[in-house]
Amino acid sequence: MHVAVTAVGADRPGIAAAVSKVLYEHGGNVEDSRMAILGGNFAMMLIVALPASADAASLERALSGPAEAFDLIVAVRPVAEASPEHAEGTNYVVTVYGADKPGIVYRVCSTLASHRVNVTDLATRIVGEERPVYVMILEATVPAGADAAEVEADLKALSAELSVDVAFHPLEEETL
Amino acid sequence: MGAREVLRYPHATLKTAAADVEPGPAAEQLARDLVDTMRASPACVGIAAPQIGVSARAFCIDVSGHRRAKTNHGLVVMINPVVVKRDGRDVMREGCMSLPDLTANVGRAERVTVEGSSPQGERLTIEAEGFEARAFQHEIDHLAGLLFLDRVSSLTADVFPRKRYDR
Repeated sequence: MHVAVTAVGADRPGIAAAVSKVLYEHGGNVEDSRMAILGGNFAMMLIVALPASADAASLERALSGPAEAFDLIVAVRPVAEASPEHAEGTNYVVTVYGADKPGIVYRVCSTLASHRVNVTDLATRIVGEERPVYVMILEATVPAGADAAEVEADLKALSAELSVDVAFHPLEEETL
Repeated sequence: MGAREVLRYPHATLKTAAADVEPGPAAEQLARDLVDTMRASPACVGIAAPQIGVSARAFCIDVSGHRRAKTNHGLVVMINPVVVKRDGRDVMREGCMSLPDLTANVGRAERVTVEGSSPQGERLTIEAEGFEARAFQHEIDHLAGLLFLDRVSSLTADVFPRKRYDR
């Protein structure tokens, strides 16, 4: 079975080691994972394959050791074995940047969702102290049948409304 | 022999530095196999001998008709290539038939001058720019046992599961 493991806490050395030690001792195999410092917190997101004898609840209990030692928020939940198939389409990169304000992620993602555009990768960062600039970069698949020009027009209208800059361009991959 | 099977990582030949090739009939046969294998995959613009299981410093490229090509020398088959000059830098997302499940943002020189010889032994010097220059560098990397994963600096920022792969 596969479980999603998340753990978040104030960054300090040893968190990744302590969490992955418990996963290893439970016979878990870390498959896709991402760990990063977000706003000064160390955030771990992992998809872990567990042996049939293990279960999510007992793994979460076992992680209470590192959770207490490092003051982490930890959750373990079962997830589907295989990711669902997504519709064929064309990949685009959307870059949004401007003065920080609440609602940028929500409005951009809502616009994309209204065209059935599937977000596959998204990251945001606030840069600068006095006049912080908000930067969001995401990748998304425009499904066959959706009109990329309409998506772009709606994003441009949104950028004017939110006073942020938006770039939308196809992601060109070349096989060599 | 025609089109050959394209090896996939972790096949050891892909991570082995290849040996120089003597011009002559054997090199010409290898060249024909490389071109046949490249032509068998419509999206393929280049292939190196280690990818078909031959640890020899030979490759072919052809960026004809490619929308991003700045220079285009048509079909180029080269043995024992050396990049003698490189300048500029450009980042583009690359895929490789030997790593079919990944793509990555790879920084490479924008312009290169490559010296080598034809399979018959004729000296070749080619100046390439843009996509063709990238193709030369990608194939010449294969001859040194290097894959595009050896050229990226960040797994999270630069390496992506391939969402769609057109063979």
